[in-house]
Amino acid sequence: MHYPWWYVPFLTSPMLIAIISVLHVLVAHYAVGGGLFLAVETQYAYRYNHREYLAYLKEHAWFFILITVVYGAITGVGIWWTIGVASPLATQTLIHIFVFGWAMEYVFFVLEIVSAFIFYYFWGRLDPKTHVRIGWIYAGSAWMSLVLITGITAFMLNSGQWPEERTFWAGFLNPQFVPQVFARTGGAFLLASLYVYLHATFKAKDPALRDLIAARSARPALLGALLIILGGIGWYLALPESAKAALIAASTLNILVVLIFAVTIAVFFMLYLGPYRNPGWLSPGFAILFFTFGLVAITTGEYIREAVRKPYIIYNVVLGNQVYAEKVPELRRTGYLEGGTWTKAWVAHHYPQVLNNDRIDPAQLLALPEEDQVKLGEVLFLYHCNDCHAGRRGFSAVAQLIRGWTPDMVRTVVEHPEKAHFFMPPWAGTPEEAELLTKYLLRIAHPRPAGMYFGEEK
Amino acid sequence: MDPTTLIGPSSPLGYPAPYWFLITFKVLGFTLHMVPMHIWYAGVLLAMLLQWRGGEVGRQLSRRLMRPMPILIALGINFGIVPLLFTQVAYYKVFYPATILMAWPWVSIIVLLTLAYYGVYIYVAGLRTEGATIARWRQAVGWVTAAFFLLIGFFFSNAFSLMTNVRAWPDLWLRKSIGGAPLGTALNTEDPTLWPRWLMMFSLALTTTAVFIIVDAEWFAPQERPNYRAAARRAALMISTIGVIGFATTGSWYVFGTWPAELRESMFRGPLRALTGLTAISPGIPWLLILWQWRKGGTRARAVATAVAQVLVLAFNAISRQIVQNAELGQFLDVTVEPVRLQWSPLILFLLLFAIGLGVVAWMLRRLKAIRTSESG
Repeated sequence: MHYPWWYVPFLTSPMLIAIISVLHVLVAHYAVGGGLFLAVETQYAYRYNHREYLAYLKEHAWFFILITVVYGAITGVGIWWTIGVASPLATQTLIHIFVFGWAMEYVFFVLEIVSAFIFYYFWGRLDPKTHVRIGWIYAGSAWMSLVLITGITAFMLNSGQWPEERTFWAGFLNPQFVPQVFARTGGAFLLASLYVYLHATFKAKDPALRDLIAARSARPALLGALLIILGGIGWYLALPESAKAALIAASTLNILVVLIFAVTIAVFFMLYLGPYRNPGWLSPGFAILFFTFGLVAITTGEYIREAVRKPYIIYNVVLGNQVYAEKVPELRRTGYLEGGTWTKAWVAHHYPQVLNNDRIDPAQLLALPEEDQVKLGEVLFLYHCNDCHAGRRGFSAVAQLIRGWTPDMVRTVVEHPEKAHFFMPPWAGTPEEAELLTKYLLRIAHPRPAGMYFGEEK
Repeated sequence: MDPTTLIGPSSPLGYPAPYWFLITFKVLGFTLHMVPMHIWYAGVLLAMLLQWRGGEVGRQLSRRLMRPMPILIALGINFGIVPLLFTQVAYYKVFYPATILMAWPWVSIIVLLTLAYYGVYIYVAGLRTEGATIARWRQAVGWVTAAFFLLIGFFFSNAFSLMTNVRAWPDLWLRKSIGGAPLGTALNTEDPTLWPRWLMMFSLALTTTAVFIIVDAEWFAPQERPNYRAAARRAALMISTIGVIGFATTGSWYVFGTWPAELRESMFRGPLRALTGLTAISPGIPWLLILWQWRKGGTRARAVATAVAQVLVLAFNAISRQIVQNAELGQFLDVTVEPVRLQWSPLILFLLLFAIGLGVVAWMLRRLKAIRTSESG
């Protein structure tokens, strides 16, 4: 609420974060797992002087660079871009807590970039020992960057002791940290193998070589699936009560949890029966199916991870609507419009008559003409609710959700959203402001769908 | 509307390190970022022009400019993380509102950069497979890529000039918002500082690219024909001359045409006078070194001296820019007085990792040097 709220029609601006984040993680995990794959397999190929395999690995390294160094790196920066404009208060908070975590990650990024280019561009010119070492520098740096960013994203789901201690380490070493490192490392192993299968089935022409690749990549993939399951169990156990409840209560999340378990188990058995036991089964179609399953699992996992955080962006610290959790009681006393830097400026500019000693007088708000009250209700909606709800149409559009509601029903939910749904942030304004929002919502609400029959009173 | 009413309160968390530490890394990071960024910013356009109208040697130069571009872009993007990180730590009160007001152009940078980066790869792949006669469609991709980089630079100049142009916020906001929520479509085009800043950075990028051509010719082009190095020096001198003239023109426009009198006075008074003077005249030093090499011939040591001089030019610019940024913001807020809650152990760990990281990079580069030595031996 200290910043202007970016209005994105239909989608809502935080959904842009979700889109770009999902697009990023699909490659980010490969950037870690693929690095380990290249280091281990290059070492193996040198040890057995397997020239065909080395030639394939060089080709894979080029594919790897094109995918991870370009697309992966830019979408990673893209997350920065979007969180800053779509979730500024949470970003400001995270960056003031973890700036040195990100700075450390930057060191590893530089090591990744330099080692990746040397690994590829000096292939055949470096002696095998140095070449493999460079590969391991990449792999180690990539995994360290995974560890560092996981500490920060895990903190958002369970801030642990941070609200009391307020130190970097209390935040970084949060209860979600270790489980998520396990799960993400597993995801990196698994996804890397699926990328390798996809690439190898199209590029490795020799069936014997393809079988070798299939067999050798099956083990890390199986290990990855196990790590995901272990990490997933740890993740569930370390969830705050509200997140566990959200997981159980929200029907979409129920379905997605079933989907992710089903897909992971399916991938596990396919890996075991296919590349592990029968490497020859691996065909382009099989690899595409594998890869699709992998993407579905990762995307679903990320969606669930994000969704269960509600009503928080940072658990117990920053609410989904850009309000510090600890500020809610104060805002309920003094007013949401008064508490927000840009909302107050907007009111002061358009309705100076409601100011009293340079403060917004809540009672004066209801003395405004009806149309102006609705306009102020729109301001409240955009700043207080648009994080999760579009207006008339779009993502979780509120006008659709309250179809046919009576004014009292709308008013009750506006005043106590956290009681209607525990995964919604509490109302952070005065009763007068709740009335303004109610008027706006009633104005945009769609009528109850016509023609619905529920029997007749006899 | 009083624009200061749009600046939010301080973070209750305070700065995680003293302001001087944050700003040192911001300036250092920006200087490092500028080196590769300049080469792609001006270099891709130059490469396209040379390919189009450069003759045989010009096309050779174009190819040499484009070939290392994928690596330079990767390094530039990564080096850009640090200044952006510390900008968000120390300037959060103005950085977020400015970028939210122009959110769509700001976010579009990611799309443009992705397309431009792949554009560079497509072009470079053509150099490998098609050699001197690069396909027309790849050339078209190259031109679009060059245009995208210029557009990205324009959006960056918008964001960072809007960050300090707090006075423009109310109007941009009220004109382009719904219910007080910005549409994210604003640009800072009415700010008189925007255009000279954008063009000044491009001029400076030309000078850096000229130095890159010199370094590349002396260090990395032993296999090229003997006349190549002389031609490269001549081209570098021409590019550097255009860059220096552009820098002088746009810099004068910026300083004397757009700065408020008080800012100009403060930058031309006391110790800052020396810094301002150095910032203004320093691009002349690499230019003189290039001129000298054009007349007397180049050596590896001379190329290194030119590169060091150019890095100093960029450092002077980054430091001056930082001081001007704080002065411009001074009428609205003082970023140096935020409370500090020092995070000792993460800070020390970062510095330690930074040193180790530099050591590892140095080790890897030594390995490469060893290869080159053994190959040339």
